[in-house]
Amino acid sequence: MTSKSILSLLALGLLALAGAACHNQSYAADDKSKIHVGIVFDIGGKDDRSFNAAAWAGVKCAESGKWPNGEPCGKAALNIVLRDIEPGNPTSIEPAMRAFAERGYDLIIGVGFAQAPIMEMVAKDYPNIHFAIVDGISELPNVASLIFKEHEGSYLVGMLAAETSKSGTIGFLGGMDIGLIHRFEKGYEEGAKSVNPNIRIIQNYVGVTDGAWNNPGKGKELSLAQIGKGADVIFTAAGNSGLGAFDAVEQAGKVNGRATHFVIGVDSNQNMVKPGFVLTSMVKRVDNAVYSIVEDVVNKKFQAGFHVYGLDKDGVGYSMDQFNKDLITPEMIKSAEEAKRKIIAGEIKVTDAMLK
Amino acid sequence: MKLLRELVFPLLAVLAAFVVGGILILLIGDNPIQAYKLLIGSALSWPDGIGYTLFYATPLIFTGLAVLVAFRCGLLNIGAEGQLYVAAFATAWVGITLAQRSAWILIPLCFLAAVLAGGVWGAIPGILKARFGSHEVINTIMLNFIGIALVSYFTQYHYKVPGDPIMESSEIGQGAHIARLGHFIHGLPERIPLNLAFVLALICCVLVYLFLWRTKWGYELRATGASPTAAEYGGISIRKQIIIAMTISGSLAGMVGINEVLGYRHRYYDGFSDNYGFTGIAVALLGRNHPFGVVIAALLFGVLQRGGIYVDGFSEHVTKDIVQVLQGVIILFVAAEAFFRGQFGSFGLLKRSKV
Repeated sequence: MTSKSILSLLALGLLALAGAACHNQSYAADDKSKIHVGIVFDIGGKDDRSFNAAAWAGVKCAESGKWPNGEPCGKAALNIVLRDIEPGNPTSIEPAMRAFAERGYDLIIGVGFAQAPIMEMVAKDYPNIHFAIVDGISELPNVASLIFKEHEGSYLVGMLAAETSKSGTIGFLGGMDIGLIHRFEKGYEEGAKSVNPNIRIIQNYVGVTDGAWNNPGKGKELSLAQIGKGADVIFTAAGNSGLGAFDAVEQAGKVNGRATHFVIGVDSNQNMVKPGFVLTSMVKRVDNAVYSIVEDVVNKKFQAGFHVYGLDKDGVGYSMDQFNKDLITPEMIKSAEEAKRKIIAGEIKVTDAMLK
Repeated sequence: MKLLRELVFPLLAVLAAFVVGGILILLIGDNPIQAYKLLIGSALSWPDGIGYTLFYATPLIFTGLAVLVAFRCGLLNIGAEGQLYVAAFATAWVGITLAQRSAWILIPLCFLAAVLAGGVWGAIPGILKARFGSHEVINTIMLNFIGIALVSYFTQYHYKVPGDPIMESSEIGQGAHIARLGHFIHGLPERIPLNLAFVLALICCVLVYLFLWRTKWGYELRATGASPTAAEYGGISIRKQIIIAMTISGSLAGMVGINEVLGYRHRYYDGFSDNYGFTGIAVALLGRNHPFGVVIAALLFGVLQRGGIYVDGFSEHVTKDIVQVLQGVIILFVAAEAFFRGQFGSFGLLKRSKV
């Protein structure tokens, strides 16, 4: 290739650009009559089928009244302008939040506890902008902390696990060894013990660094070890690593068409990941929490501080659908619903491991 | 005329990259003019845009200079990433351990920690190459993994605030904070993390230039890079030059720690580097292995980094990956220049640059 042909290629490219400039397709300009919402995802990105996906579903529902897959979400569209950034690495989280703030967005949502300190830095510089952090805690006057009573939901799936277990041993697989995950573990343990006080619970954590959320191989090995020690139901709270537990119970196989070992999913409804092997999922309705904070801002009723989503507001719960209806008997549902009523009424107190 | 010739290929490369990127944006279904307006407009707005662009350029100037010094000696330092991690941790370690001391003692000690730690981490592959002839590319890559894992370990088990779910060390002493430029420049808010490390980067750029082209040591270093056998014949110890070049290279990379720890986060934060060490190779290449070229290239990459976030957030379909595409195409075209001149080869770029 000669330099002449390179130059002509360049000229062609410039022509193409000029052509594009002529048909003037404009970006949705900042229409100040509408509420602007910006969401900054965690490293996992918005298609992780779990935690981030739930947050994305919530804002998408607020924008259009539909889930990201186009089905109606059963709530009203709120007439907002929605923009999202997937930072992809930890260094881009702060610039992403600041990009929304500099543009004068009304509400900036951060997904994941790791964003809390970064959000505090940004929120201090922009006291007139509303911020919301999912799973994180901040006491600034313009930050709403959206937190979940994971221990209450875990209590219910702990009951279901203990009722399903034939061996009297159940497992818990945590991701990163931090307070937030201890909350799942403690609730699960108390729920299981309320059904069978002698039940044995084996617990393992994948690791102590961020990498612990994304190590399905180790998740599987730990789960197989738990199965080896007799556990026949395993509750995962380990992000992507939890998928290893799904593989492990599938490997244990089926007898007479029924799985011998079960796994309990987390955050989103994961019952369809390995149908027949997933007892239920401890769902965390991040979508509901995110939708209502957007709604608050639209209605000018935003309140900073803690927004706690427990069983009472359907913020947490266990999932039932066509994939697990044969695994959970009506009696089990009855006892779980009974416990749910008692927890809401305050008759059963579930320990919050983060309040130690 | 010579200067013009030096500038024309990088400029063409950047232009070509924008054209290719524009075609991609068209294919995605967005408007390239609007996207570029967003990209460049957000990066050059005052004060936030310019402040952040310069802030993002700061570590790239350091790593670009680091790669350049090694390059001039005929070495490829791919280990700037590991060197800057080790240095940043060392800086934070001094800042935490001696937190009570006054700024007059603490800041010079922290500077020294950054330079020494980076220098040592760079010297190791240099010594291995000089003593045993093991290739510096392999060794620097391996030392990246070792360095990053090592400081992660220390952060996790020894220097983290107990109960903190985030992988970061505790905070350094107040005395070790260096001033943000907003403190001196009217109209630049202090929330923008652009700090004195940027000035330090510019000073380093001049120092590297003076060292390489105005001193005997710089001459020996460049002579080794240009032709090791001729240099040896001329009485220059190649082994010594390799170790010196890698040590200086590592020290320059290590100064990223000053920007990050003393000027920005005031703690060691695991994963803070957005591949600064590797982008430094691209910066050095685009900057034609000249200190002043490195500054210009780093500024361009700063613009891309700042603007990429805006394009991601505020365009309809384009994500910030477009920045990766632009960077990739720029490098491709710069590297292809040697091909156009018929000098394609592993050290074609070096061969051309006159000693």
